[in-house]
Amino acid sequence: MAAVQETIDQVRKIDVDQYKYGFETLIDSIQAPKGLDETTVRFISAKKGEPEWLLNWRLEAFVRWKAMTEPTWAKVHYPKIDFQDLYYYSAPKSTEGPKSLAEVDPELLETYKKLGIPLKEQEVLAGVQGSRVAVDAVFDSVSVVTTFKDELAKAGVIFCSISEAVREHPELVKKYLGSVVPQSDNFYAALNSAVFSDGSFVYVPPGVRCPMELSTYFRINAKQTGQFERTLIIADKGAYVSYLEGCTAPMRDEHQLHAAVVELVALDEAEIKYSTVQNWYPGDAQGKGGVYNFVTKRGDCRGHHSKISWTQVETGSAITWKYPSCILRGDYSRGEFYSIAVSNGYQQVDSGTKMIHLGKNSSSRIISKGIAAGYSQNTYRGLVSAHRKATNVRNFTNCDSLLIGDKCGAHTVPYIEAKNSSAHFEHEATTSKISDDMLFYCRQRGLSSEEAVALVVNGFVRDVLQQLPMEFMAESQKLIGISLEGSVG
Amino acid sequence: MNVAVMKTKAEQAISESFEAVAEKLPGSAAVKARRAQAIGAFSGLGLPHRRIEEWKYTDLRVNVKEVLAPSVEDETPVTIAELLVALGPMAHVDGHRFVFVNGHHRAELDDVADAGGLKIAAVGELLASATEDLSATLAATPEGGDAVEALNTAFMTDGAAVRVAEGASVTKPLMIVFVRAGSQASSVTVRNFVTVEAGATATVIEAHVVLPGASPDVQLNALTEVTVGKGATLHHAKVAVDEGKALHLSNCDVTLDADATYRNFQFSAGLGLARNGLNIIFEGEGSKIDISGAYLARHSEHIDTTLVVDHAVPRCESRELFKGVIDGHGRGVFQGKIIVRPDAQKTDGKQMSQALMLTEDAEFDSKPELEIFADDVVCGHGTTAAELDPDLLFYCRSRGIPEKEARALMIESFIGEAIEKVENEPLRDALAAYAMQWLGHSPRG
Repeated sequence: MAAVQETIDQVRKIDVDQYKYGFETLIDSIQAPKGLDETTVRFISAKKGEPEWLLNWRLEAFVRWKAMTEPTWAKVHYPKIDFQDLYYYSAPKSTEGPKSLAEVDPELLETYKKLGIPLKEQEVLAGVQGSRVAVDAVFDSVSVVTTFKDELAKAGVIFCSISEAVREHPELVKKYLGSVVPQSDNFYAALNSAVFSDGSFVYVPPGVRCPMELSTYFRINAKQTGQFERTLIIADKGAYVSYLEGCTAPMRDEHQLHAAVVELVALDEAEIKYSTVQNWYPGDAQGKGGVYNFVTKRGDCRGHHSKISWTQVETGSAITWKYPSCILRGDYSRGEFYSIAVSNGYQQVDSGTKMIHLGKNSSSRIISKGIAAGYSQNTYRGLVSAHRKATNVRNFTNCDSLLIGDKCGAHTVPYIEAKNSSAHFEHEATTSKISDDMLFYCRQRGLSSEEAVALVVNGFVRDVLQQLPMEFMAESQKLIGISLEGSVG
Repeated sequence: MNVAVMKTKAEQAISESFEAVAEKLPGSAAVKARRAQAIGAFSGLGLPHRRIEEWKYTDLRVNVKEVLAPSVEDETPVTIAELLVALGPMAHVDGHRFVFVNGHHRAELDDVADAGGLKIAAVGELLASATEDLSATLAATPEGGDAVEALNTAFMTDGAAVRVAEGASVTKPLMIVFVRAGSQASSVTVRNFVTVEAGATATVIEAHVVLPGASPDVQLNALTEVTVGKGATLHHAKVAVDEGKALHLSNCDVTLDADATYRNFQFSAGLGLARNGLNIIFEGEGSKIDISGAYLARHSEHIDTTLVVDHAVPRCESRELFKGVIDGHGRGVFQGKIIVRPDAQKTDGKQMSQALMLTEDAEFDSKPELEIFADDVVCGHGTTAAELDPDLLFYCRSRGIPEKEARALMIESFIGEAIEKVENEPLRDALAAYAMQWLGHSPRG
């Protein structure tokens, strides 16, 4: 009898359809009519009460987008997206911003509770010393609640939604928006530029070290709504900011499109640390219904001695198409990229980075860990290039892939372009499976095979996990365990 | 986006020159039909350009401006003494010799006496022969295929068809020598077939050399098709040494049966624009390959090595090591792809590509790729690009070694690591001598 029960448990575990965050909150939302044309763009702009220049900027992007075709070079396969069959704007009904958490729609708070965002807890925590996190919660495109604003304001840090920044600080937005990722950069960036709904805006003034970690939780909620965030972070001379982005999405049948753009600008001696945990719905056991994540993330180390560091933990989405990059324009600037990409079920990941060395003595480091299980395909695609005049640049790249199961694939496509002799580039990549000896040892010590796999995998990705801020590290460790459930057995 | 691309002048000239020489090219009616199909495929494909992923770093549309007249007949006189001069340090390699001048077989220069176990024939004769139907082995160019291979089928004039009999162990290496002679600049297209039957062992050296005083311009297209039988071993080397202006397009397509061993070494120096393509497919379990090479580029030379290793079956092992020294405005390109098919478990693949850049204007582009669909594998690749280590240089100088010598010593040891891979000792010495000559040093006593 026991054996039978064990079998049932095992079968249950093999089912990858155990998305912990699969639920849908029923909140009325105001939607733009389905489809995309100039009126949609004008509708979004009008709805947000945007100035003329931004509307024109959007329209210009839309014109460019119409002339572009979807990129097909990535190792991902999906049915063609009908861009006219999507909603491009949806906002929660209550447009008046709540003054305190008590005024927030209780159902919304319930959603966050399920996601484990300790908003209330943080209000309490705010009074005590230690780690503080400011949350600019994005609930379907519009920022609903922003905490810690006052404290940040004291330091001179601007942390608000991008629509607010357009109203309050148009000069900054005008100066930096699209300066790292131009409107016509690529198909999805152009789409985002035309219809972006909301997102975060951060400006850290010269010499200021942002007093806390800034964090945004994104959620995709209303059915069939593409979410198009636009994030813009500017660290002025000598400033430092650490930004955390965490994502979960409810379960649904229709594929969801997510095309965000993130732009980072680091001026002289500034540092930006950008961490992401992405756990969107990866689709059910047959690979149906997951999120399409086509994101353009790029940082511009504009000043000398500036530094941009990307850390990402990717466990969700049916399709991930994402290359957080650094343009190392300043002399002595530094770019870092730490990534863990876990794919299970029928997920497809094509991710990596670009380190474009333009400044002299700039350096970069890439550590990428890919873990493929089930029927998934996991690709690292990266570019490291040194411009002719960028002397003494350094890069170290390490891409390791781990395969769990014989139906998945792990691919590495690095491009290394050294255009002058003083560039020192090192690249190494390995692919292997979890050794049977290691698993045997763990099992012999009384660990179940899933615990053993989680242990080995966590050891495999440790280099990257260590780069995450404390809050995210613990969460990510758990997340990786959940993502790999059912991959052995 | 399907935009009709304008044909370049060179592309048009290629099609026109085919029309002009088609009648003179050797071959039966069936071969002629294959040629016509290939040139048709080429006019659809055009010259490879940077928009084609495999040609990202070597754009023939941009680089090939003029097309030289195909060498369909050749009478240039060449003596054995001249041939030995052209072979340079390789003249010391003791082996059988099968010689081609400007892409045409010259029986009087051959040395194939007592080549027991080896059957050698000129492809030009086989193409024309009614008894040996080569057209069946000439694969039709598939849609979206390789344009350079298509051009080879269309224009090939001659080459060596080598067969090593089952179980034979040929001790002396076979040198297939392609000499360029005469003041007439021309385009040369050759095709070789090397078949090593089950259990046999052989060494084949393909040498592309030039006679002093010959025209520095040439457009060479060489394709070698290799089949290594069950349990057979083939040591294969390709040496191309020229004067800095040659367009050198070479491909080597290899198929391995079970438990076979295949070693290949590619040496390139003084090639204006070179593309060395290697396509290796494992078709039987338990086989091993070791592919390595050394290339030397200076002035504005461009040397591209593009490698595809396809682990289609389980339990095979592949090793690759490529080293390049880039001087002047030279450019080195390395693209290496290892594919492990879904059921190719227990695959062991390792790849390394290193470049040493001697001047500020040198350029190195590398794209090592892994495409893995099986889990029980050990695969890895590495690539590095760097200049000479100033610390090492300083160390040498502190020990009293003059800078110039110290640099040469370091370059020699760098490139030497790859040359060490050559199994045939006289050839290894010859290549080391070439490298030294290139560095501007006389070979050491």
